[in-house]
Amino acid sequence: MLSRDFVSGLAAISIGAIYLVFAYGLRTSALDDSVGPGGMPRAYGWMMLILGLMIAAGSIIKHIRSGAAPDLGIEWKGQGRRVVWAAGLLAIGALYIFGISTLGYPVAIALLLAAVSLYQGARPGVQIIAIGIGGAAFLWAVFVLVLGVSMPKGLFILL
Amino acid sequence: MLFRQIFTAALASAAMSVFPAIAADYPVDTVTLVTHSSPGGGSDVFLREMSKYLAPELGVNVVVENVRGGSGAKAMADLAQAPADGARFYATTPTFIYTSLLSEPEYKYTDLEPLVNFFIDPEVIYTAAGSKFQTLEDVIKASAESRGRWGAANPASLERQALEQLKASTGVQAGIVTHEGGGDLMINVLNGTLQIGVGEVQEIQSQLEAGEIRLLATFSDARLDNFPDLPTVEELGYGVVVRKFRGIAGPKGLPADVIAAWENAAQAVLASPEYKKTYEANNLRANFMPHAEYGQFIETFANDTESFLRESGVIK
Amino acid sequence: METLYLVAVHLGNPYVFLAAAAGVTWGILGGAMPGISPSITMALLLPFTYTMDPTGAIVLLASTYVGAEYGGSIPAILIRTPGTNAAAATVIDGYEMNKQGRAGLALGISLYSGVLGSLFGLTMLILLSKPLASVALAFTPPAYFALGVLGLSVIATLSGDSLLKGFVAALLGLMIATIGTDPVTGANRFTFGSSDLLSGIAPVLIMVGMFAMSELLVQASDRSEGTKVLSRPRIEFPGLKLARRLMFPQSIGATIGTFEGVMPGAGGTIASFMSYNEARRWSRHKEEFGKGSPEGIAAPETANNAVAETALVPLLSFGIPGSNSTAILLGGFLIHGLVPGPMLFTRSADVVHGLYAGLFIAAIGLLVIGILMLPMCIWLVNRPRPYLSAFIFALILSGIFSIHASLFDLAIMLAAGTVGFFMRMLRIPFLPAVLGLVLGYLVESSFRRSLVLSGDDLSIFFTDKVSLALLVVAFLFVAGSVGKRALDFVRHRPSAHYSEGSE
Repeated sequence: MLSRDFVSGLAAISIGAIYLVFAYGLRTSALDDSVGPGGMPRAYGWMMLILGLMIAAGSIIKHIRSGAAPDLGIEWKGQGRRVVWAAGLLAIGALYIFGISTLGYPVAIALLLAAVSLYQGARPGVQIIAIGIGGAAFLWAVFVLVLGVSMPKGLFILL
Repeated sequence: MLFRQIFTAALASAAMSVFPAIAADYPVDTVTLVTHSSPGGGSDVFLREMSKYLAPELGVNVVVENVRGGSGAKAMADLAQAPADGARFYATTPTFIYTSLLSEPEYKYTDLEPLVNFFIDPEVIYTAAGSKFQTLEDVIKASAESRGRWGAANPASLERQALEQLKASTGVQAGIVTHEGGGDLMINVLNGTLQIGVGEVQEIQSQLEAGEIRLLATFSDARLDNFPDLPTVEELGYGVVVRKFRGIAGPKGLPADVIAAWENAAQAVLASPEYKKTYEANNLRANFMPHAEYGQFIETFANDTESFLRESGVIK
Repeated sequence: METLYLVAVHLGNPYVFLAAAAGVTWGILGGAMPGISPSITMALLLPFTYTMDPTGAIVLLASTYVGAEYGGSIPAILIRTPGTNAAAATVIDGYEMNKQGRAGLALGISLYSGVLGSLFGLTMLILLSKPLASVALAFTPPAYFALGVLGLSVIATLSGDSLLKGFVAALLGLMIATIGTDPVTGANRFTFGSSDLLSGIAPVLIMVGMFAMSELLVQASDRSEGTKVLSRPRIEFPGLKLARRLMFPQSIGATIGTFEGVMPGAGGTIASFMSYNEARRWSRHKEEFGKGSPEGIAAPETANNAVAETALVPLLSFGIPGSNSTAILLGGFLIHGLVPGPMLFTRSADVVHGLYAGLFIAAIGLLVIGILMLPMCIWLVNRPRPYLSAFIFALILSGIFSIHASLFDLAIMLAAGTVGFFMRMLRIPFLPAVLGLVLGYLVESSFRRSLVLSGDDLSIFFTDKVSLALLVVAFLFVAGSVGKRALDFVRHRPSAHYSEGSE
């Protein structure tokens, strides 16, 4: 039952439903046009809901027609491991966001470069440190010196 | 924020080269004017022009910083949390009142202290030169017979409010179409989709000179010097006056010497013959208000706006 | 003809030449940085234009715009990150070609298509400014609505094997577009009291998230030691045969780009997606699209560079900026006391002619600087995969932060990347989501504006001639591709659909 199509349908249904709840909560006012701020969102929400149902129903019908129970093992093989590996990279990104205000841009970006290189399978060694420092220096030069972006300076500003 | 360093550098050097910053009585060396307008936008260009004249009067360097995002919400938050030492100010326009009322951000106009006012921009009603309307009465008459099509530049703005009030006071039927800025609106007036539009004179200046646009009336409280024949909406008997202000506000609790310095500098800047030529050509009307009066003015303005938004049900 | 002569006079002006060369170089660099949009690239230069003379200042800013619109295609091809919004369509086939080791050719095609697009757009700007300006005037709110619908009709062909999933993705994009301030009443929608959401979610966050971030996540999730196909670090231009084949998609791109550029608010992103779609529709090699078709690069790149030129039509003729970039250019004019609009050509004709000359030099400069710079870019992406991934991640985190100096934006981008990752896992195409996001505001605001105009009479969409024509075309497109899918289904033939290479 839990084919990729079925899960897609379920996802669309839940997104549509949640969105509709908020869409119906929008205020109305005398300055509104006849469609109003909520008009289009409601239409989008209902369409999403209906499309979700159609996709989910379609996947069920397909399986009933084909007779045999779908092999979920093949359908989802290796996906769990994939999600975990991707989540790891995402976690590095999240740590960067939390750390940048304290560490400051140059330090945070250097750590990010080193961490992602290692995570993606680079061999630990001196070149990792070189990549981290060199890359950070380059990005700092481009964004802070040339483009004038005020990146977080962090607590190491005194150094 | 992004542009802080470069603008600081460029403007500081520009200001220094012309007028050596003399360490006068003003407590800081550099004054930053924050605007929510993007670089090159209306308020931004206006501020940079003004800062050239302001710097020597205050005896400091004046730089402009763009703190964009949230229609002024970010800029208000920035200012409300800044120290009240006279180094950081916010360039006010009615937008900051509207954003405060409509969006209920964490920091509102009430968290800032209005300092002085410089200008009132006249808002005018215009139509395409080829349209059949010669006066505002023609438009009102036509709208009484069949539903009118009027345009304002932005959704929740002073212009929108002015048209809604005009509609209410005349009792005619009109659809008020909002746009994404004055340019968008002007196209729809030029191609006849809309009967009239409302905007600042400077936005339509080029079309006006080319004779593609005809002015019908102004929302200001008195006739304009550049257009002495243009009637005001009020004298036509519709009783709507709009005051689009441009001034300065700071963090709460500004020291008295800073307030006094700004009151003097503002008057001097507005009186400068060179600057006068520039701003009058751009159809800005000098309207100096000292600290005490400006605070009152902003409060009245905000209350009027709030009651309008409340009556029309936009806010609770 | 007299205009051409007056423009030619300025070609020899060293000041104009220098401004154009500097602008186009700076523009390419800025455009190639993800997150740094053409308008930001231009805004950074604005303070320096104070002290320049008006012609030099305007040329500098306009050349930056031209360079930036091209520059966006470089990371689109090399690292699956559209450097500008308008380069999003180039990602589809450009990145595929790169994966096949044909990055040099992909970059060559985008470069010379960009130059051709610029030159075509410039010619239209110089010779047909007046008639093109009347095109802008013909577009009323119902016509803009119809244009948006026409843009959305592209979804039907961008949806891969499942049309339903394509619509789901498009709706997701339309939903994201409703976040922020309501276009008619100014009320807040879906902001949940956060001031970061008041002005909505910038499309670039979603684009970089869904394209680049999701690709990084997919690469992280795939632990196999797959060998990367490397491209030779040199730029290749197509041979005679391929060049002839590309002429048709290029003319599609040039035509669509010229018209979309003229309309304020339409812009390069819609133009490039529409040209991509049309190039595919009329191509003899449909099956190659989405799998590394040279035509799929030529069409959108010609289009978005033509837009950068003709976007000046409404600015110069009416003083109306149609996009953020032209708004900065307007600022450049105003700073020097020039008011663009009907009087500009009479009062400051010299500046206008200088601008045209500068734009010509910028288009040629594009070619020269591209040839010098691109081999180095290919060399960079040939580095070992772990280091490359790390650098791309660092680059997009830095670039996205630069937009509003906001960590919130970084979180949105990561979230969009996660959503993109799962969409790829569930085989939901995400191009329709990007399109829905870009067009959502245009469609909703012009639909509601039209109804306010007509007093809620839907017939306004059919009485307006431009609107009627565009709606009919959109209907034919959708009916055509739905019909074809139905026919393929009945005959049990696999549709020759566009694939996004999901895994």
